Order: sequence, then C-alpha cells, then structure tokens
Amino acid sequence: MQEWKVQKTASKGYAIGPAFVVKPQKIEVDKTQITAGQEAAETKRFEAAVAKAKADLSVLAAKDDIFAGHLALTGDVALYDGVIGRIKAKQRNAEMALIETQDEYVAVFESMDDEYMRERAADMKDVAKRLLYALKGIEDNSFAAMKEKGIVVAEDLTPSDTAKMNMELVLGFITEEGGVTSHVSIIAKNMAIPCLVGVGEIMREVADGEQLIMDASAGEIFIKPDEALILAYQKKQTDFMAMQKEMKDLSRLPSVTMDGHAFELAANVGNLEDIKQAIKHQIDGIGLFRSEFLYMESRQFPTEEAQYDVYRQAAELLEGRELTIRTLDIGGDKGLDYFEFPREENPFLGYRAIRMCLDQSETFKVQLRAILRASVHGKIRIMYPMIISISELRAANEILNECKAELKNESIEYDENIQVGMMIETPAAVWQAEDFAKHVDFFSIGTNDLTQYILAVDRGNKKVAQLYDSFHPAVLRAIHHTIQAGHQAKIKVGMCGEFASDERAVRLLLGMGLDEFSMSATEIARVKYELRACEQGAAAKLAAAVLQLETAAAVKELITEQGV
Amino acid sequence: MVKGTITVNNKSGLHLRPATELANIAGKLDSEITIVAGEKRVNPKSTLILMSAGIKKGTTIEVICEGESEEADLKVVLEAIAGGLGEGE
Repeated sequence: MQEWKVQKTASKGYAIGPAFVVKPQKIEVDKTQITAGQEAAETKRFEAAVAKAKADLSVLAAKDDIFAGHLALTGDVALYDGVIGRIKAKQRNAEMALIETQDEYVAVFESMDDEYMRERAADMKDVAKRLLYALKGIEDNSFAAMKEKGIVVAEDLTPSDTAKMNMELVLGFITEEGGVTSHVSIIAKNMAIPCLVGVGEIMREVADGEQLIMDASAGEIFIKPDEALILAYQKKQTDFMAMQKEMKDLSRLPSVTMDGHAFELAANVGNLEDIKQAIKHQIDGIGLFRSEFLYMESRQFPTEEAQYDVYRQAAELLEGRELTIRTLDIGGDKGLDYFEFPREENPFLGYRAIRMCLDQSETFKVQLRAILRASVHGKIRIMYPMIISISELRAANEILNECKAELKNESIEYDENIQVGMMIETPAAVWQAEDFAKHVDFFSIGTNDLTQYILAVDRGNKKVAQLYDSFHPAVLRAIHHTIQAGHQAKIKVGMCGEFASDERAVRLLLGMGLDEFSMSATEIARVKYELRACEQGAAAKLAAAVLQLETAAAVKELITEQGV
Repeated sequence: MVKGTITVNNKSGLHLRPATELANIAGKLDSEITIVAGEKRVNPKSTLILMSAGIKKGTTIEVICEGESEEADLKVVLEAIAGGLGEGE
C-alpha cells in the first residue's frame, strides 16, 4: 500500500473505488510546411474546423456558461489572425499555425501574477485541442471507456473533458495540475464530489483499475489499501455523508439547544450578493452588514439614493428578518480612494469609524437618511461602531434624530421604532456596558477589535500575532461582563466577530448567555449543528468554570477535556 | 477620434466572461476601437487580446473610438463597462 499527502483540497469528502486513469491523449499533429499556392486551401481547412467546433460549442454553451466563453475564443479575431497570419507568412500548415498561436497566448496567461488568470491558459489549451480534433476530423472519446463507477485520475481536466463524462460514475477527482479555482474544482464543489488538485505526479503511481481511497477532507490518497483500511474508510464515508445530510436537514429545524434554549444565527455580509448567498443558509437575520464596502467600491461618497437602493433591496431580500446595518466603519486599515485620511502614527487608535462620522456629520447624515428611508421595507437595525463614550453615543443619536425630523418634514416614511445599537469593541465600552445598555436597543460584540484593544496586540504584526488570543481570560471576562450588562437591561447581545463561529468557543458563548451568533454564512450549518447538540445548562456550568481560570491555555484545556 | 476614461469594476477584472461580453459588444460596432491600459494598447473586439492584457479591478482605462459613428460607439462601450459586463455589481 502506498500513501500520498496532498495540500490542495478543492472539494471535501471521501471516495473509495477503482482508479479511472485518463491517459493523456497525445494526438499526432503533422507539423508541416505547405507549399506556395496552398495557403487558401489551408485557410479553408482551418475555417471549417472553426465552424465544426463552434457548432459543438453552441450546444454545450446552452448548458454551461464556461462554453459560451470557449465559443467566443474559438471564433476570436486574434486567434484567427494569428493562425491565418502564420499560414500565409510562414507557410505553416493549419495544425502548426494553431499550436504556435496557442503557445503564444498560453505563455501570456501563464506569466500573469493572478492565479485565476493563470488558469485561463487551460481554457486556451482546451479550445485549441478541440480545434485540432476538428482539423483531424476525429472525435475525442477518452471517457467512452468509463463504464463503471470510479475515481477519475488525470493530468488535468478541461471543461470539454468534464462535459463528456457521465457524472453519475464519478466518485472523485484527482488531478496533477490545477488550483482550487480551476474548472474541475468548481464543478466538483457544486456537485459535492470529493476533489484533490495539484497532486504531484500521481499519474506515475496509479495504474488504471487499481483500488484507491481518497480522503479529500484530510488530503490523503491510499493506493491499493488493505481490507481493514477500506472498512475503516467506508465507515468514515458513511459518517461524513450522514453528517452532511444531518447538517442540511438541521438547517431547516429551529435554533434551539437540547434543553430547549433558543439562540439566533445570523450572517455577516458586505453586499447584496452576500445576502443572496446567505439566505440560502436558513439564517435568522443579518447580524452585520458592513456598509463600508459600499463606500470602498465606489468612486466617490455614495449618494443617499444609491445607498437607499442597496439597503432597501437588502431589507426586501430578508423578508422581515433582521438586517443590522453597521454605519460606516472606515479608517484604521481601511481607506477610501476619494477621501484623504490624515497620516497617523497609530491608525487603529486614530481617526476612524464613528469618530470620523461625527466629525464629517454631513456624510454621516447621508447614510443615516438612506437607512431610515429603507427601514419601511423590512426590519432594519442601526449599529454604531467603535463607541467609547456616552457622549459619542448621544452625538450620534442627535444626528439620527435630526435626520428623522428632516424626513418627517419632507413627509418621507421611516420605521419610527427602528432599533439602534452599538458594537462593543473597546475596553471603554466594556467597562461602561451597564451605562450604555440603558441607552441602546442591542449590543454586538466585535471580538476581532475587542481582542486587539484589550490585549494591545496588533494581529497583523507577525512578531506579536501569537499573543493575539480571544481565549485570553481578560477577553472572555469582557465578553461575559458585556452579556451580563446587556441582560440586566433586558437587551439582546450578539457577537459578530470570528470568535462567534470558533468551534471551541460556541458552547462557551452559549453558556455565557450570548443571544445571537453572527458569522460568515458558510459556517452557519456547522455552528447550528454544534449548538443544537448542546445543553444550555451544562454550557453555563462550563462557562462558570472557564471564567475562574487564569490562562488561555487552561481555558482551552478545559474546553477540550469537556469535549466539543 | 473621441476618447473616454473609465474604471473597471468587475470583481476579478476582465477575465473570460466579461471579456467575452465586451468583445461581443465591441465586435458589433463599426468604429476602430482601442483600449489603453497603462502601457498596453489593445483591440477590445478580441476576447483573447482583452484577457491577455490582464486588466484588473480598479484599473482606469482609456477607450478610443475612431470612425463615422465614433461618438455613439464610445458611449456604448463606456456604458457596457460601467454596467459591469454582465456581472452585476
């Protein structure tokens, strides 16, 4: 038995079965010179091949967008000029002219610094291969031999290849080339077929029909495994599929723990596209809409109208579920092309977020008016970032009230009961959480900034990044204090930092009483699965024990002991 | 000859799909069209050439049109790019 370790997993899962090795089909290309006078005939041959390829691609393009691109490349003027130019000027035959033209563009794509663009060389090669087959008048049938279920092992797989496969027979994909954004990776992910790409020289090691186990979750391949290992992996595969199914089924079940305690799961998003993806995950709402992306993707401060349009669409997409819009959080590490931030010694301690908005109140008003106007289209909540004092909160609310008064004067409708909350991400906000709780409708703990400010650690700085740890007792006690203060005032407390989806943290946070967990949408099914398996009572005991501990290491040890 | 500048806002720049869209649009116009991106001058009627220019999101490009319908054609090209070339926002 042989074992292979793989770095790039394109699509998770397990597969057990015989290898179907795709032999690299080297078609014999006659690279010849033509004699004077044959140019017109050779041009005609190429044109006929283009026509044949285009006819085939038109059919495929109706099913898959990628072939619409290939169709365009096949009929591309630059490709045509390159080939015909070589036929006429250098008396190349059509095959040779095509290969030389292909190589020219492949070289350009492969030299690009962007991985996505580099992989487009594969599209060029795929198109050229199709044309070569058409020139020779033969069909490419490398997959006709695949009659039973198997794991496809290939140098690389082009869209033309996968289009010819019978996907029902494909247990998994292993390719030597390709990255996680390559065509086969995308197909595999969409169809939930395990896929490993960039797997060294696997073709040399595996013979057609040999038994394989692929573990695309851990990135392992076993060639000719023994019976015992096959049995072990069959069990892993069954468990994995059961868990996938359970997670999917669970996503439709209510968000409650084993002992009936309800929790909310929400998504963090940056734009409308994210929301469209997020609502596929049965979310209870949006816990964080990062409005700064509207500003960062624009060429000037976005107008009230443009913002209103986005917020309204977002609210409508959510069909009554909560949409928490964080007001402009810019500065620190996030700049704008059209607004000059002062150069600062300590940008994270400087002119950013609410500080900038209170200073540039006209800009702030544009956003608040847009949010208020959109609030009649759904359940919108306003959230201020980086608040450190009651006076800042009052100042922000004063501007909000001005906006409400203006709208009232203009007879424009808005939600009179719109909730206003704040992020808890500074030590000042934690210490005064009891005071703040009297003035806001909700808290949302931003653990990324909170950890950085409590520990005074810049996690972007490699030299100190290992000190950044949200399990530090000081951070955990700050989170606990915030939740307690919120609950005393009967307001909801959520969390929208990465910690809210940390598999070691969710049970602890549930135990502390966190009401809403907001995270990247793709994490929701897993967190829901984990939380539904918890008992709030037991989690509360764990939290109480953890809050007594003195070091992050001891916290993690206890959590691991209790088995998450 | 008329010129206009615009910033490419597609998520991954002018890769296969948006380049195809732009080439299809430009291919239907009568003007001679050139896109200038930094040092590169490319013909937007070819997907292949557009892609090989490797124009990324945020790049400001100049569109030059020459021909009898240059004014109208320039407008078409600029609007197509501003509209995201079939990729929405």
